Amino acid sequence: MPEQLKTFEHKKRNWVGKPLKRKEDLRLLTGRGTFMDDIRLPDMKHAAILRSPYPHAWIKGINVSEALNFPGVRGILTGEDVAKMSNPFPVGVPVPPKYYCCAIDKVRFVGEPVAVVVADDRYVAEDALDLITVDYEPLPVVMDIEEAMSPEAPVLHDNIGSNIYSQRFFQYGDMEKAYKEADLVVKGKFHFPKYGSTPIETYAVIASYNPFSEDFVIYNNYQGPFVNHSLVAIALGIPENKMRWIVPTDIGGGFGTKTGLYPYIALIALAAKKTGMTVKWIEDRREHLLASATATDRVTYMEAAVKKDGTILGLKDKAIDNTGGYIRAPEPGCAYRSTGNHTGGYQIRNLDREVLVVGTNKCLTAPSRGYTCQELYFSLERMIDLVASELGMDTAAIRFKNFIQTDQFPYTTPTGGIYDAGDYQKVFQMALDKIDYKKMREEQRNAREEGRLMGIGFSTVVDPSVTNIAYVTLALTPEQRAKGHPKSGSGEAVIIKMDPLGKVHVIACTNPQGQGHDTVISQIVADELGVHPDDVTVSNVVDTHDRLFSITTGSYSSRFASVVTTAVVTAARRLKDKMLKIAAHLLEANVEELEIQEGKIYVKGSPDKSMQVRHVAGTAHWNQAALPEGMDAGLYETCLYTMPTSQPPDELDRVNSSNTYGFMAEAIVVEVDPETGEVKILKWASVHDAGTILNPALLEGQVMGSCAHGLGGSLYEEWAYDENGQCITASFQDYLVPTAMEVPKIDIGHVEIPSPFTALGSKGAGESSCMSVPACIGNAIADALAPLGVIINELPLSPNKIWHLIQKAKKKG
Amino acid sequence: MKPSAFEYYTASTVAEAIDLLERYEDEAKIIAGGQSLVPMMNFRVAQPEVLIDINGIKELDYIRQEDDEIVIGALTRETDLELSPLVQERCPILLKAVSLIGHASIRNRGTIGGSLVHADPAAEIPVAIYGLDAKMRVVGPSGERTLEPEEFFLSYLTTSLEPSEILVEVRIPVLPQKTGWSFVELTRRRGDFYIVAVASILFMEKGGVCKEARISVGGVGPTPIRAEEAEELLAGQVITDELIKKAGQKAAEAADPESDYHASAEYRRDMTRVFVQRGLTEARNTAKGG
Amino acid sequence: MKIEGKYKFLASQEHIWDLFMDQKNLEKAIPGCEKMEEREPGKYDVLLKIGIAAIKGTYTGKVEVVDPEPPNRYRLLGEGSGSPGFVKGEATIEFSQEGQHTIVSYQGDMQVGGLIAGIGQRMIGGIAKMMAGQFFKKMAKQLKS
Repeated sequence: MPEQLKTFEHKKRNWVGKPLKRKEDLRLLTGRGTFMDDIRLPDMKHAAILRSPYPHAWIKGINVSEALNFPGVRGILTGEDVAKMSNPFPVGVPVPPKYYCCAIDKVRFVGEPVAVVVADDRYVAEDALDLITVDYEPLPVVMDIEEAMSPEAPVLHDNIGSNIYSQRFFQYGDMEKAYKEADLVVKGKFHFPKYGSTPIETYAVIASYNPFSEDFVIYNNYQGPFVNHSLVAIALGIPENKMRWIVPTDIGGGFGTKTGLYPYIALIALAAKKTGMTVKWIEDRREHLLASATATDRVTYMEAAVKKDGTILGLKDKAIDNTGGYIRAPEPGCAYRSTGNHTGGYQIRNLDREVLVVGTNKCLTAPSRGYTCQELYFSLERMIDLVASELGMDTAAIRFKNFIQTDQFPYTTPTGGIYDAGDYQKVFQMALDKIDYKKMREEQRNAREEGRLMGIGFSTVVDPSVTNIAYVTLALTPEQRAKGHPKSGSGEAVIIKMDPLGKVHVIACTNPQGQGHDTVISQIVADELGVHPDDVTVSNVVDTHDRLFSITTGSYSSRFASVVTTAVVTAARRLKDKMLKIAAHLLEANVEELEIQEGKIYVKGSPDKSMQVRHVAGTAHWNQAALPEGMDAGLYETCLYTMPTSQPPDELDRVNSSNTYGFMAEAIVVEVDPETGEVKILKWASVHDAGTILNPALLEGQVMGSCAHGLGGSLYEEWAYDENGQCITASFQDYLVPTAMEVPKIDIGHVEIPSPFTALGSKGAGESSCMSVPACIGNAIADALAPLGVIINELPLSPNKIWHLIQKAKKKG
Repeated sequence: MKPSAFEYYTASTVAEAIDLLERYEDEAKIIAGGQSLVPMMNFRVAQPEVLIDINGIKELDYIRQEDDEIVIGALTRETDLELSPLVQERCPILLKAVSLIGHASIRNRGTIGGSLVHADPAAEIPVAIYGLDAKMRVVGPSGERTLEPEEFFLSYLTTSLEPSEILVEVRIPVLPQKTGWSFVELTRRRGDFYIVAVASILFMEKGGVCKEARISVGGVGPTPIRAEEAEELLAGQVITDELIKKAGQKAAEAADPESDYHASAEYRRDMTRVFVQRGLTEARNTAKGG
Repeated sequence: MKIEGKYKFLASQEHIWDLFMDQKNLEKAIPGCEKMEEREPGKYDVLLKIGIAAIKGTYTGKVEVVDPEPPNRYRLLGEGSGSPGFVKGEATIEFSQEGQHTIVSYQGDMQVGGLIAGIGQRMIGGIAKMMAGQFFKKMAKQLKS
């Protein structure tokens, strides 16, 4: 823990905390948003990508001659070009695969780009794709995570020699002692499926290259972190200031998967460079479902050393993540993002970990919503229920038994996480009350007598937000890290300015994908500067030439609510300080005596000794000589805020992987139809501590969305491949995103335990229930099927799967 | 997902449509609602060189009763079937089947003719058609013919239509009063292609005796099937719970489903049993007037 | 996916063996086969236009007769690729005499890759089975003529 942990005093607020209607909605609802497809540039051409139908094959040759001669085709980029024109992307593992934006001599997953056709329109480009012949030599495939690690498995990357991209061992505390003191050891194996986020707007890139100034201008709907701007520059072999990225005002959803856009940025940029054209590529849905990005699928072996009274002394686990045909940045973050919150909300001090990241012939990954925590909590929360079952203990009671207590915050976990604030007991109790837990157990007893399969499930999880980029370096051992350059930080930049008439404009770089950032920023600024939110405009367009941004900039890991709001508050307070100094100078008063409220700055106690905010602003711009000596003209302030709790890992592999930690309790009651295996949700309570609530309407939306998203992964969604490596869910007919008809009524509750580490006390909530719902539904179904002896350790739980589990259990019993 | 190039013609009469079909034969595809054809074209799994748009053939859009048959023009939109008082009164099983197709926006454009000719093995209307013993009237250059369901549906996405023939009408016998009926299906999500669908029709006699039963099952073969042995079990009997159970088991034996990602063959076979049982129970209730 | 089945032909095993080895018959029976040229004995280049109703794809590829053990069994390998993706199959075909009939049984594996696999998974199994059936029906037709 850093010595002087900066904490904030939280003030009274007028606008923050109100369900203000969103500023963004009017333009979105009237079709006046600016999305990537709205951008039309002169002489723009269109790209279509030829993609591999094989999961694993050598490329013996590509013949593009017929395609090149097709009328309307302007040029074709192949892997051969890409190898000449670019470098592999850097990635933070000791022996990286050679990952280019296009397959060069080998394809490693169905859908991998093999060539790009540039033509007058997309129709013609797709016609030309049909004319390209590729000579593939198919190779044996490897699809199973554990099989991929066996020495007999087909090897994806000869330069690595095995399919293991990353492997590390970690010890925290004293697991041996925990085993000795344990009354019981409970074991489990869990399998979390590969699934993603399917934003309604797919990937999009418009690239052009100027051969005279040798620079690129690339419009795209990337969501950050902008570390990938650096990686693409390295791949293209150019300095960063020769590549300008512009992200438009509106992005139709990202959910983390738009962090996987950057290889396509490089690909289309190269197509633009080769053909000399401005090239536009809009990904279609089939492409997205084949080759965009998903979360990892993971196999986890877990053992809990426990005492008879339910105390969990320690956990041993082996977690194997699958990043697909290649590993690409920000992986292997999939294995390390949750380091700080690995033990969840429990007082578990002893850990023994083996962490592996492997490759199979599946498509690649990115930090999809809930990044690593869905996988972690599915194992951890199922484990808690398994332990409770072994001990004959109530599943709620065992959680209360192990929770971190309210007087222990800020709490440092054995893995280096610094939990800022929480009241886990209050949040969980609210969820229990909402479903009327005691009554539900009674109803369950009655149901069981009637042969009905009713189940109650919980998951109580810590919601980490604001990534500290340091965690990715855990892929290296402490010795390896000592030789290299440490990484750390979570910074975000904001510029705030007041114009001569006293209206405010904020320039941020959060490139929102629908979260409503502009609305919240205006609420914050209104509170700080005593103006009305309508007086505040926000520009959130990212332009790497014009904007203040850094490696960590962007919207991911739910960071807006914590670090961006703190940056906004800090910048606003700097601006307020300056305004007060100017007013003090003009009023001949002391700064400490002054107050701002509703457009007026006045001396406390003498309200007639005052001046309008806009006169202060006017003076700063129009009468610069009247300013205090040495003061800059105008009214502009900047803040590039990085949370001081973002430090590099120490030599014991401890790192505060996130910076604010919320908490969620999910309680779901289900009934399983014993004939069809269908799951009906009878009750659902979802209670959240996201710290100070910035805008309740927006938070409600986030919770509902993340609940639906988690429901998807529990019962419906899976990125599925057959045993030959073919992706069989390449359309929404088979990749089942839940619709409004599938989402039940959810009783949402809030508990506000402000974080002392953020200016407003807020924590992140963008991922929230995505992390807790799969575990909760897994637990509920396990509870429902317990009388039949069915073991639940994988998702999604389709009726077909549940039916087979029931039949299997019937045969055994 | 852009289609490949095609020529586009409109037809405003059946004769014009047949003329165009004769001219282009295998290269041509008729487009009505396009709810199945357009996605196939956008994926380029279908690349017809010629599209013949028949949306203008007003003479094919009707629902009327002729003696003891409901006659429906092939171009009738699915939504119009749902909203038709005639269908509601005289053929409620068709209404129920149609209401389960996709979503409202799809039903606004999709036509009964299109659904039948497309012959998707997991479409609702064909299952109802098998149960109703409805007839399909088809017109071509050499005249017209009327086909029973088993003659019309051949296999996956395949009917016995010749390349220059067009489906013009569906003729459905009006069911007697007091006939029990039901249409039930198992889907992953509301509006999806079903895993199994069952249409049950019970012709009743005095004393609660079932004179004749029809059980049509979809999702367990390349076309819907009639579970004839299960039907025979019920003929001339009072429908008891025990009999319904046996009928379900018999129907499952008649099913020959494939496995796919969403449902294994064993699951489909067992769901045939379950949904035939549920369907018959519901049909028995409607027969009682419940 | 796995495909398997059995067919009964009213003819002697030798006769059926010859029937199945004849290139002309194979060309007529293989679904969608428009062209078949022998490169080497037992190895053929093919042009296939396979489809169901409006769903058609053109594939170029090869068919091979391997490990022939006349008149009892052989393996048939086939593969083709085109813009919809690729198809690949192999089957062991066995012949046995049963009275006046010859039983032809086949057991094999079929792979479909690319577009159809991605969006048509719910029908591929059934359609593969159906096409295998078509092959044998067409062979039976050759027998009659």
